[in-house]
Amino acid sequence: MMRFNDIKREAGFVFGHRQFKLTMLVVLLLSSISLWAGFAEMQEQQATIERLLEKDQVERDAVINHQSNYGMVAYYSFHLTYAPPTSLAFAAVGERDVFPWKHRIRMLALEGQIYESDTDNPELAFLGRFDFAFVTSVLLPLFIILLLYDLKAKEREARRFDLLNVTARNSHAIWTSRVIVTLVPLALAVLLPFVAFAVLNGAELVGIVKVCAIVIANIAMWSVIVLAIGAAKRFSQFSATHLASIMLGVWLMTTVVVPVTGHTIINALVDTPEGGDIVLIQREAVNGAWDKPVEETWSAFLKSHPQWTHYTEFDPKRDSSFNWKWYYAFQQVGDEKASELSQSYQASTLKKDEIASYIAWVSPSLLTQRLLSSAADTDVQAMVHYENSVRHFHASLRDFYYNRMFKAPAFSLESFEQLPQFTPQKLKDSQENTDEN
Amino acid sequence: MHTNSVICADALTVRVDDRTLLDNLNFNVGKGEVFALLGGNGAGKSTTLKTFLGLMKASSGSATVLGKNASTNTNDVQKSVAYLPESVTLYGHLSGLENIRYFLSVAGVDKTDEDIFAALRKVALQENSWKKALSNYSKGMRQKTAIALALLRNAPVLFLDEPTSGLDPAAIDEFNALVSELAANGATIFMVTHDVYGACQVAHRIVLLSDGKLTGSFERVADTPIDTEAVHAAFAGRTL
Repeated sequence: MMRFNDIKREAGFVFGHRQFKLTMLVVLLLSSISLWAGFAEMQEQQATIERLLEKDQVERDAVINHQSNYGMVAYYSFHLTYAPPTSLAFAAVGERDVFPWKHRIRMLALEGQIYESDTDNPELAFLGRFDFAFVTSVLLPLFIILLLYDLKAKEREARRFDLLNVTARNSHAIWTSRVIVTLVPLALAVLLPFVAFAVLNGAELVGIVKVCAIVIANIAMWSVIVLAIGAAKRFSQFSATHLASIMLGVWLMTTVVVPVTGHTIINALVDTPEGGDIVLIQREAVNGAWDKPVEETWSAFLKSHPQWTHYTEFDPKRDSSFNWKWYYAFQQVGDEKASELSQSYQASTLKKDEIASYIAWVSPSLLTQRLLSSAADTDVQAMVHYENSVRHFHASLRDFYYNRMFKAPAFSLESFEQLPQFTPQKLKDSQENTDEN
Repeated sequence: MHTNSVICADALTVRVDDRTLLDNLNFNVGKGEVFALLGGNGAGKSTTLKTFLGLMKASSGSATVLGKNASTNTNDVQKSVAYLPESVTLYGHLSGLENIRYFLSVAGVDKTDEDIFAALRKVALQENSWKKALSNYSKGMRQKTAIALALLRNAPVLFLDEPTSGLDPAAIDEFNALVSELAANGATIFMVTHDVYGACQVAHRIVLLSDGKLTGSFERVADTPIDTEAVHAAFAGRTL
């Protein structure tokens, strides 16, 4: 059994070492700086969203007020769609660094607008942004190794080990107490700044507790690894330095080699189309439509929109001098042609994410990073959800304009009160709604 | 097992891998006795000591202390013994006083500062050094600190590993006097050493160990110390 006196004594002992206090200070600084960096980045993203929203509205109002035709308004109006940073995104920037978190879209073919910024698709975030998730998943294990690698080996080398074991009331009185008073301050040095930033950012208690639990579990997992290596019978005669090199080897293997190899394996296993190909197919379809007979476009369009079969006739007097219906129909057809590749892109993105989730079971650091991104709604699922919400919004825009262009009511400014507005929805809220339905 | 024995080796054998480190040792140490296990390097002295402290397990036979088997009741045995390692390396960044307080707390033993001061005076550790960092202590001073710690634990059994190694003659005399006093007060003392002269001065019984086997035994008769020459001859004969 461990007593309070054991904890008190070992706390005094551990804090008596200048190196320990210095280590705690470094961890506290690293945690604080990473949080501040993430916080500043998210503040900037939020400010960008607010600035663009304001600009978006002003520009759209100007377009609506200066046009007298729905086709023209649809052509010139931009609509900001965005995935706002969640209240915990500052702690785990996650896939927000890889996937676009905002698109200013128009009524034109959508897939090209979504994928035009696609340059890379690394599902396995590795040694990425210096955020809190990076500090806790990649750097924190190194501090755990630094603090615990010589827990017993140091005493063995100093020839105090036998004396301590014979003198101790029981092994918990010394070793367990010493581990606890080492790890608790470490956890506090990492988590206290996080809790302060989370409260400042208005994060919900459940989210804060979840992140704390993930970090504590990561500390516990790495402590078990380090202590197990230190206690292994086959390593019992190894020097502290030798043990440290074994522990660093495990860190290197699980934190660097496994994710990098996993990334290579995933890319070899899962064939992913290039975002550029999607853009190309869609643009070729759209550009080619100008040279094709109009009937060909209508035939393709009406397959998916049979409700407009009797509304395709072009009347220059009624519909304006340009056939906007046909123009938006071939935009739609362009999207439909790119649809298969686009769905394949998303499916392979999710497949890669799924395989990465299995690989994460042999890499505590990767697992921690993924769990933190999931808790902060910055993972692949959240970004795919945003991408789909952009498609959903674009579909509602098409619905709004098709009704006005095909049925051709008189142009009215009041009708724009029904113009769909993009409302970001959190992945979890969306999932709850789906479950309820 | 001898009925009055505090320490007992009964057909004690220790094997590690395919090597036999201790081979069928049999001896008893009674209450208040100073028992010295004498042997050269690699004879098995430290293995014997570690087996009685529960730090190594008997492969067959038994090592018992106060009737408790050190291999199976390690915790009980360790609670009732004090151990003085060969090279006393307490914590160098702590003072002698702080080291004693720390180790007493580890042992779960409550002692007042007065008790600690009394023990330090008893082992003749200079008072002006009590609050100095142990890294500034000589080997003799560190030894005295560790002995003070052993005294404060009030353990009925003391295990000493090469206790006089590296001490100057005056310090050895002081140490031997202290050991004799402790034994006179009822403590059982088991020491392993290769210091023939020192063992003869203080021990009631000396047992020779060579290649893990007992090879000879010498006992003090009345108050006459064991004959150093006889022990030395037997010891040298075995090791040369």
